[in-house]
Amino acid sequence: MRATRRRLGLVARNVGIPILSLVLVLVLWQLIVVGFHVASYVAPRPRAAIDAVTQNWSVLWPLVLGTIRETVYGFVVGAALGFFLGVIMAKVSFLQGLVYPVLVLSQAIPIIALAAPLVLILGFSTAPKIVIVAWIVFFPVTVNVIDGLSHVDRDLVNLAKVYGASRWRTFWQIEIPATSTPLFSGLKIGATYAVTGAIIGELAASDGSSLALYQEHANSNLNTAAVYGTTMVMTAIGISWFLLVVGVEVFATPWRRRTVARRWPWRRGRDLADR
Amino acid sequence: MTDALLALREVAKSFGDTVALSPTTLDIAEGSFVAIVGPSGCGKSTLFNVIAGLLAPDAGAVLLSQRDVTGTTGHVGYMLQKDLLVPWRTVEDNITMAKRLTGRVTTEDRSEARRMARAYGLGEFLRHYPSALSGGMRQRVAFMRTLMTHQRLLLLDEPFGALDAQTRLEMQQWLLQVWRDAERTVLFITHDVDESIFLADRVIVMSPRPGRVVADFANPLARPRTLEMLTEPDFIALKGQIMHLLHGGAA
Ligand SMILES: Nc1ncnc2c1ncn2[C@@H]1O[C@H](COP(=O)(O)OP(=O)(O)OP(=O)(O)O)[C@@H](O)[C@H]1O
Ligand SMILES: [Mg+2]
Repeated sequence: MRATRRRLGLVARNVGIPILSLVLVLVLWQLIVVGFHVASYVAPRPRAAIDAVTQNWSVLWPLVLGTIRETVYGFVVGAALGFFLGVIMAKVSFLQGLVYPVLVLSQAIPIIALAAPLVLILGFSTAPKIVIVAWIVFFPVTVNVIDGLSHVDRDLVNLAKVYGASRWRTFWQIEIPATSTPLFSGLKIGATYAVTGAIIGELAASDGSSLALYQEHANSNLNTAAVYGTTMVMTAIGISWFLLVVGVEVFATPWRRRTVARRWPWRRGRDLADR
Repeated sequence: MTDALLALREVAKSFGDTVALSPTTLDIAEGSFVAIVGPSGCGKSTLFNVIAGLLAPDAGAVLLSQRDVTGTTGHVGYMLQKDLLVPWRTVEDNITMAKRLTGRVTTEDRSEARRMARAYGLGEFLRHYPSALSGGMRQRVAFMRTLMTHQRLLLLDEPFGALDAQTRLEMQQWLLQVWRDAERTVLFITHDVDESIFLADRVIVMSPRPGRVVADFANPLARPRTLEMLTEPDFIALKGQIMHLLHGGAA
């Protein structure tokens, strides 16, 4: 009973407070627009922006799906590539010296400057956008994986060796779990930037129908409410993706906030094995 | 050839100019409990690392049951002052760690881990993560993990070094109980002379620069050991001899 109450309190805090802060932003927005008599072509009221989204949802929805697809594909490709590069570079110090400067260089290139050659190579498809998102996402993942792997307790690795573990087992059973915190930090940073990358990609390498171009179009028609509304939609995609990554982290690393392991129904056989 | 479980033959190891271990020959009988004491830097951990196969010696051979295992791993249980439990596994899964690293954890392994944990007072904590345990409990789990390697030779490098005096005394008695049940051979490094005498059949004293064995005492105390023995004349006499070697007459 007490535990249930505490749990409910926890949920209220974890869900309620973010919702409250969201509402506060909307209220503040409303107060500023009304209080300073801001003209509606400069900044709409929240209500108008929301209406601009809901009323045009049938047009927006396919574009939203397109942006989500670019974000997700780009993130997955970038995260996988980033993880792979991080592992290779952490394990082969010669490669680390060789590749690290190139990676830093890759991040110094303005993304916009990258778009033109990408379109030339890949055409006006989703491919250049996926590449741009992956380009942004892989870097924090790689840097954090290298950092994590080089800080795994040597004594723990040696203990595995004394037991007679292969390097492969040691890697998957010891080194990777020990790297989970920095790995997820990299993924979360990547997740925040992924949508921005997709939107930049849509602007720089778009074939005509995309969320970014929809917004541009609204802007040139002085439809400010739609501009703000589209921004809200983009932000929502970004936040949802970030929250999904956080959710995966919470699920994948239960030992960080639990003292007792969860009981999974499909593992019951295991638990009863010796009764 | 000898019938010792572990035989070191002129094993030596240097790091640059530092002679961590000068040529050392040692026989450890099956089933015995041998303590190694000595000041910091006299090569105790180096000796263990050579036996475990983490370090290849510059010279000499390590024989386990007359088999040459020099420079290879996978033939001893090993435990350090740091418990090295993995935080992402439950107590039960930590105990079965060795099998997970080298083979497959079977249902029998799990039952054995649970039986052991229940027998030694950790039955309630099988599904807990190590972060929920006290220092003494963590060391007990680490020791059970070492036992579950099913190796006949266990190397314990200051396993209780980080515990407070009270917990350490409890752990010593616990270790003796487990050792009697488990019938293993134990090599035990410690800085604590009392601990070495209370636990061991034999106390080896080492000295630094160069790291070497300077004495090898047979412990006259009978088993089972009790706390009263800590004040017996035999105990005091042996302690005096060891202290004399360690501190050059200060005792
Ligand atoms: N990897 C290494 N590289 C260089 N020198 C080392 C290395 N390991 C140990 N040494 C040196 O070898 C000597 C013996 O070290 P060792 O760790 O075996 O001592 P110890 O008896 O275990 O000391 P302590 O009681 O402090 O644990 C020391 O002088 C140490 O500095
Ligand atoms: Mg040491």
